[in-house]
Amino acid sequence: MDELELLKKDWQKDTAEYPQLSAEEIYPMILKKSSSLVKWIFYISIAELVFWILMNTLPFLSESYKENFDKMEMSDTLFYGLNIFSYAIICVFIYFLYTAYRSISVVDTAKGLMKNILRTRKIVNYYVIYNLVFLAISSIIAFYYTMIHSPEFSQQLTELDSNGEAFGFWMGIIFVLLLTIAIFGLVIWGFYRLIYGILLKRLNRNYKELKKLET
Amino acid sequence: MKLSKELEHRFVEELEKHQNIVHKVCRLYTNNQDAHNDLFQEITIQLWKAYPKFRGDSKFSTWMYRVSLNTAITLYRKGKRAIRTQNMDDVLYKVKAEDYDDTEEQQLKLLYKAVHQLNDIEKALVFLYLEDKSYREISNTMGISEVNARVKMNRVKTKLRTILNP
Repeated sequence: MDELELLKKDWQKDTAEYPQLSAEEIYPMILKKSSSLVKWIFYISIAELVFWILMNTLPFLSESYKENFDKMEMSDTLFYGLNIFSYAIICVFIYFLYTAYRSISVVDTAKGLMKNILRTRKIVNYYVIYNLVFLAISSIIAFYYTMIHSPEFSQQLTELDSNGEAFGFWMGIIFVLLLTIAIFGLVIWGFYRLIYGILLKRLNRNYKELKKLET
Repeated sequence: MKLSKELEHRFVEELEKHQNIVHKVCRLYTNNQDAHNDLFQEITIQLWKAYPKFRGDSKFSTWMYRVSLNTAITLYRKGKRAIRTQNMDDVLYKVKAEDYDDTEEQQLKLLYKAVHQLNDIEKALVFLYLEDKSYREISNTMGISEVNARVKMNRVKTKLRTILNP
C-alpha cells in the first residue's frame, strides 16, 4: 500500500517534531504517583476483602446480635466449624490474589498482561460470589434456627398444623426468603457490573480483539 | 542510597535519549497536548517502576516499546488533565510542510486522521509497522503468532484504505 509507505517515511523522519524533555524535567516525573488500572483494581480488591471480612465479624461485636445469636442455640461445633472455614477461605483467597498480582507485569506481551489482569479480577469475583452464596446459606440456617427456638413461633405452627395450613405457610416463608436473597444478590451484582463495567470495558474489548485472531 | 541514585541517573539519561518512542506512542493514542503529557507521565512511571528488572539482555528501546504500548493500551486511565480539553484541532499535530507538495501533505493529514480512527490493537500494529519492526517482533510484543500478526496487519491496511477511500 503506497499510502502506508508514505506515512512510514514521514513517521520515521519527524523525530524533531516533539518537544524534547530535558533530564531535569524527567526527574520529577518519575517521583509522581501512578494512576494505572492495576492500581485501581488493587485498591478496589482490598476494599472488597475488608468489606466482606467486616461483614463477617462486625455483627459479633454488637451485644444484641450476640444475644440473638445465643438464642439460636446453634451447636458449638457447627459455629466454630463455619468460622474456621470462612477464615481459611479468606486466607486462601488472599494467597491467590497475591500471586495473581505478582504475575501482572508491564514487560509482558500485550496479550499476557491483559490475561493476567483479567485473571486477577476473576479471583476477586469468585471471592464475592462465594460470599454471596455463604451469606445466603447462613441466613437460611440462622432463620431456621431462630424459628424453631422461638416459643411464639412453635405455638403458631402447632395451630397451623392442626388446621392443615402448615405446608402453605412454609412455602410462603421460603418464597419470601428466596425473594429477599435474590433482590439483595441482584443489587450487589448490579453494583459490581457498574464498577467493573466502567473500569474493565476497554481492557475486555482489547482482549477480545486479540483473542479473535486466534480463532 | 548511592546505588539507587545511580540507577535513577542512568534511567533518566536513557529515557531522555529515547523519549521519542514514548512521544510517538502518545501521539497515536491521544487527541490533544494535555492528554499527550498525561500519558507520557504514566508511561514514564511504568518504565521507571519496571527499570530495576531491566536486565539489558534486550535493547533499552525494544524494552521501551513493550512498556509504552502496554501502558497506552491497557494500564492507562485518563487523568483529570487529559479529560479537560478535547480540542480535535490538536489531534493531527502539525505535519511538516517542507519537502512535500500540497497533495502529499494533504494525503499525510488524511492518513494520520485515518490511523486515529483505528482501535487500540490496530494502532499498536500500525505503530510497530511504522517503526519498521519485523513480524517476529510484532508477534513477540503483542503476544500473538507471527501468522496472525501478518493477517491482522493486512486487515488493518484494508481498513485504512476503506477509511481513506469510502
